[in-house]
Amino acid sequence: MKGKRVDKKTIEVGLNQFLSDDRNLVLGFAKEPDGVSHRIFKNELGPLSLFNPYFGINGAFFLRRMFSKGQKLLLLLRPCEIRASVELVKLTQTERESIIAVSVDCLGALSSKDASDGLPDDYKEIADILASSEKVRPACKTCKERRGIVGNAGIRVGQDGTLWAVPYDEKGVEFCGLFAGDNEELPAAMLVGEATKTEPFLSDMTEFSKDFAKCIMCMNCRDMCPVCFCIDCVFNGNDYLPKGDALLNKIFRGGTTSLPSGKELFHLIRMFHVSQTCVGCGACEEACPQGIPLTKYFKGISERLQGMFSYTSGRNVEEQIPYLTFLEDELKDAAD
Amino acid sequence: MAEEAKKDIPEIVGFACSFCSFKASEMAGSLRMKYPEGIKIVQVPCSSRVDPAFVIKALFEGADGAFVAGCHPGDCHFIKGNYYTRRKIAALKEMFKAFSMDKKIKLFWVSASEARRFVEKVEHMYKEIKEGNNEGKKG
Ligand code: SF4
Ligand code: SF4
Ligand code: SF4
Repeated sequence: MKGKRVDKKTIEVGLNQFLSDDRNLVLGFAKEPDGVSHRIFKNELGPLSLFNPYFGINGAFFLRRMFSKGQKLLLLLRPCEIRASVELVKLTQTERESIIAVSVDCLGALSSKDASDGLPDDYKEIADILASSEKVRPACKTCKERRGIVGNAGIRVGQDGTLWAVPYDEKGVEFCGLFAGDNEELPAAMLVGEATKTEPFLSDMTEFSKDFAKCIMCMNCRDMCPVCFCIDCVFNGNDYLPKGDALLNKIFRGGTTSLPSGKELFHLIRMFHVSQTCVGCGACEEACPQGIPLTKYFKGISERLQGMFSYTSGRNVEEQIPYLTFLEDELKDAAD
Repeated sequence: MAEEAKKDIPEIVGFACSFCSFKASEMAGSLRMKYPEGIKIVQVPCSSRVDPAFVIKALFEGADGAFVAGCHPGDCHFIKGNYYTRRKIAALKEMFKAFSMDKKIKLFWVSASEARRFVEKVEHMYKEIKEGNNEGKKG
């Protein structure tokens, strides 16, 4: 595989050239006085933070229902964010043509709740912080793809710290064209390598009840999940999670009910609905005020169910989401 | 008390396609074949209409088991609906397996003429769940 050697300066120059076109935008991380956050840059690049050790929101979240008309949006995000953007393209929730998706090698992250003063943005510093912290997010500890090998192009880190801009398709070539230099063969081993395989997720309802005992059913987990996009979510009406009079009716019919009710219903249905598109980013857990270990369940179930169809969410935009397609000759023992 | 009685008569909610399995259940009735009264059937226009959310809702709101029944693969009234059903329900079963509850969900292929097959399938499921419940009661 070939790529271009770049550094922070070349990237800045290239992105500024891209932004000099009035229709172009860059979505990435920005250093803010009090930490780091996503930012859409227009006209010129502000305080871009290519690497940072904090995760708050999955950036693909901002792409939902973004249908640009001629504008171009360049994403410079973590692999799990790029993967979610790819799923949103497949779900026609965002415009494929207008997006240039660039995944940046990820070393893992701490929760944004654990952000402290001073933002390290050098990958070495970040690696040190993560290695010495016990608070690396569960999603990152079990991350399936930390390499910037998804989307149209990637920013990869060599073992010696060299940054590489690597194109994966035509749009990626366009992106790499923003930087001066020649294409060279990439070193065989990069800093961030392939993830190790994990055991299939296994649990039971006793463990579930224990883990979700403190859930207050605020649904923040759903609201911040990048791939949970339905405007008309089944949980908004009275059919699945009745409220008010509908709740009273249900209690008169069904009897004593502990509140909030419907935790299994809500989480298991959501788990199934996102089972093929979940990218295991842990944005749900990040959004949860009660510290529920959501990643363990959502990532665990989704990896297990994606495995049935040799599917990995967000890996390839041409791959159809398994529930939206089929093979005639498959799953012979599915029926009883 | 109510709990006890409920355990003796398992309740099973079945989602049956109106072009095949539901017809088979009606034919079973007109042929005077019997199947357990705890089996409640919901008619759906195609087995692929069943969002697994329906099945999850049935199970967590009181049913001891749930099944989805459609036409044999290749025989769908809408050409390919049941191929989607097969993927979705196979995945749903896999999810329930991860929670050690996969016995509660079944997928049946039953054509409109297979009244006997329909009765056999649901009876078998009923027995299995009843035995499971009784074991649970003993333990
Ligand atoms: S965000 Fe946490 S508390 Fe709120 S519904 Fe989700 S799991 Fe429950
Ligand atoms: S929980 Fe299901 S219905 Fe609700 S937004 Fe997510 S995918 Fe859609
Ligand atoms: S369910 Fe959680 S881990 Fe999966 S994509 Fe949504 S926010 Fe990320």
